[in-house]
Amino acid sequence: MSKFKINRFWSVVATILVIYGIVKWIIPAVSRNITSLPFPLTVPGTLVFIYMTLTCVALFALVTFSDEFLEEFWGPIRKMLRGEYTKAFRLVVLVVVPLIVGWQIYDITVPKVQLPSSLRIQHPSSNFPKKFEAIKNPFNEPSKERVATFIEQVKEDEIKFIPQVQKDIDTWKEEADPDHTLQFLPGEPVKKLLAELKAEKITEATAKQALHQIDLFEGRALYAMNCRPCHGDSVAGDGPMADGFKLRPINFTDNGTIETIVEGYTFWRVMNGGPGLPTEATPWDSAMPEWKKNLTDEERWKIILAEYDLAEKTPRIPESE
Amino acid sequence: MRGSLRNKATIMKFTFAAVIALSALFNSPVLAADVAAKPMPEATEEFVEKGREIYIRRCSMCHGLLGDGNGPAADYMDPRPRDFTLGTFKFRKTQSGELPTDADLFRTVSRGLQGTGMQAFDSEIIKNGLSEEKRWQVIAYIKTFAQEFGDEELDPIKTNKLVSLPSNLPPYNDELIAKGKEIFLKAKCWECHGKQGRGNGQKAFDRKDDWGFPIRIRNVTLPWKIKGGSNVEDIYMRFSTGINGTPMPSFAKALSNEDRWALANFIKSLQHQLTSHQVLKAKKVEGEVPLKPDDTAWQTAEAMDMRLAGQVVAAPRWQNPSIELVTVKAAFNNKEIAFLMEWDDPFKDAIHKMDKVFKAKDINKVGAFNSYVAANDMIPRALETYRDSVALQFPAKFKPGTKKPHFLRGNSSNPVNLWVWKADLAEKAKSGAEEATARGYQQPARAQAKDQQQVTATSEWKDGRWRVVMKRRLVTEDSNDIQFSTGKFIPMSLNAWDGSNGEHGLIMSLSTWHFVFLEAPTPMVIYVYAMLAFLITGGLGIWLMKKALAKTA
Repeated sequence: MSKFKINRFWSVVATILVIYGIVKWIIPAVSRNITSLPFPLTVPGTLVFIYMTLTCVALFALVTFSDEFLEEFWGPIRKMLRGEYTKAFRLVVLVVVPLIVGWQIYDITVPKVQLPSSLRIQHPSSNFPKKFEAIKNPFNEPSKERVATFIEQVKEDEIKFIPQVQKDIDTWKEEADPDHTLQFLPGEPVKKLLAELKAEKITEATAKQALHQIDLFEGRALYAMNCRPCHGDSVAGDGPMADGFKLRPINFTDNGTIETIVEGYTFWRVMNGGPGLPTEATPWDSAMPEWKKNLTDEERWKIILAEYDLAEKTPRIPESE
Repeated sequence: MRGSLRNKATIMKFTFAAVIALSALFNSPVLAADVAAKPMPEATEEFVEKGREIYIRRCSMCHGLLGDGNGPAADYMDPRPRDFTLGTFKFRKTQSGELPTDADLFRTVSRGLQGTGMQAFDSEIIKNGLSEEKRWQVIAYIKTFAQEFGDEELDPIKTNKLVSLPSNLPPYNDELIAKGKEIFLKAKCWECHGKQGRGNGQKAFDRKDDWGFPIRIRNVTLPWKIKGGSNVEDIYMRFSTGINGTPMPSFAKALSNEDRWALANFIKSLQHQLTSHQVLKAKKVEGEVPLKPDDTAWQTAEAMDMRLAGQVVAAPRWQNPSIELVTVKAAFNNKEIAFLMEWDDPFKDAIHKMDKVFKAKDINKVGAFNSYVAANDMIPRALETYRDSVALQFPAKFKPGTKKPHFLRGNSSNPVNLWVWKADLAEKAKSGAEEATARGYQQPARAQAKDQQQVTATSEWKDGRWRVVMKRRLVTEDSNDIQFSTGKFIPMSLNAWDGSNGEHGLIMSLSTWHFVFLEAPTPMVIYVYAMLAFLITGGLGIWLMKKALAKTA
């Protein structure tokens, strides 16, 4: 016989061990690399049971395929039972195997202190008012009047900023002594607007684009003041407070978060926070504030504008369209 | 037949090799690039302008348009965002007082400063992060804020002011730690950081940085609060370079490389290892439940670490909490249950001045400038002003499977039962505990009637750490109290206040819901099942043995 020959009994044992190892350790390890989450996804207990049962059934079919196979499988077991590997070894096997079985039964039946799993719906819709579905962020499409006012302000160099950023812009102005306040903003839209201002022919389209840059700038400041402690400076759910909450702040750069909902939904969630959630979304675990109590509608819309922009996502299109 | 067997063996060999290779692959940590692949490109005008675009988009909200660390969000943060205009940078691999190298700035931008508002910007860590080139662009722009960077005589590379990690350093071991401890005492690190590293040294309070802002001495036992990184190598660098702009000096001249390495290993050994479970298993005791914090019965009780965050749910919001970790244990007998809470607090505050209580009216309204409490000036963060305090929170009425109250003080239909311990009360009376009911954060928690006060407490402050035990009967007649019984997951959360950090009222740190579980004795029937399984399998084995022996005969 070849030196590679492995007895059928041992190959059965080895197969069971290898498959158990794959299900128990290799799959979770691979999952980490696929999901790039900081923790492995374990195979659920019932699935482990199914895999192992299937393995045993397949091995049983293999072993009982012919009398020759069966004989080969039984060989070492029979030898052991006859005490041919020494009687002491037989005694050890006959005691240890029942002990393992007994311990397994104990382990399965004993009550364990394990957190009851609570299922939570992340984007509940049961109490989402329909009127918010088609609502639009007013800062995405500024009205003609707002653009016209803005053009006047640019001409006079008297642009009205929100008070939260005014101080920073004022100190910059004092230090930099610019020709025009808007020079603090980099990028093409503002450059183009200032060029058009010099040539005394500001177009509505250019003004609109520059105004959008200002809205984003203000939105980012409001985000940094109000939302950043939890959701992080890059909207990645990694703020300095994040580890303190069992329900981690949402990472807006993740797929399946703010891109799967309409803007109106985001607005409604920011407005009503954790307490506004229905029961199926476990409102008692959510640290999300009811921002309607502290931020104006305009402030919340500006934050949402900046949030989508920083996350490099676009909201879902409303159903009615 | 023989061929197929050979194949099988080969396949198995391959499988084994694959298993080993795979496990090696998956055990390796995910490497983030905080070391640049290429040096910083030449800072052309165009390159710097691109950096300015990134800066205005990602940095100026905190660091300000002028790079002076005075952005719109700056006043609410402690530590404040860096002021780039003076060229004073904390985390470097250059000698004390020197400018950082480009690589130093690249490292900080890439991995962020843990425990602060500065998160990682590496595009390998966050999806919307900055590529290596973009990080270099923004660094090129940041360097324009301080003229020092333009001065060749101050260039740490050209003037050879670099600090590098010595090679052939011994690995982390007990001997090294013991040596490090001696150096810790000799170099008087404890004068600020305290003997246990909790930031509780005599010189710890009221330190200031170069800008005149108050500085909290680091509690080095909490790894997530060590801004420059919690690895031994990172810690070594802090002693060797000092932290510019702060009272932390460099020990490069006072201590040898080996001594600093030993010291770094000792500091590493002080770091707390967090438990990860959400369920506190209460220990069943015979006789009386332990009422003193130093009772030996606590030593065998299971500990659960509870992480706390600043209270940011409702105004006045607070993002600079002092207490971020409370370790809890519980013990019960047939009549009573006791909880032990332990947390680091460098200063004992047992005075509470009611006239200093913060009035949130101005910031708690729609369109107020901001609903957060500023880190400095708005409240006194001083000694002898507010008391230290802790509160255990339970749902007042709890049935498994029903709605829970909100973790911030519940609401009108779902009140919470608070067991509040106050340092000033503990100082005056025997017990510092007060039972209260809250129905939402809008109204302060209401102390229960005198005859309903059933929680007692003992407490002790030692070496920068509070240890508080609160005890109550398992079951009371009061309908506003939590009732304990075995075999149930009872929701539990914490509020904590560090008085000298200005904390009082809603300016506090808090945890979300965890659970406490009182173990029921294991039913007899489970032992019977296990025994039966053992006997049946054993019997089967003996029967098979007899059969096998009979066949031979």
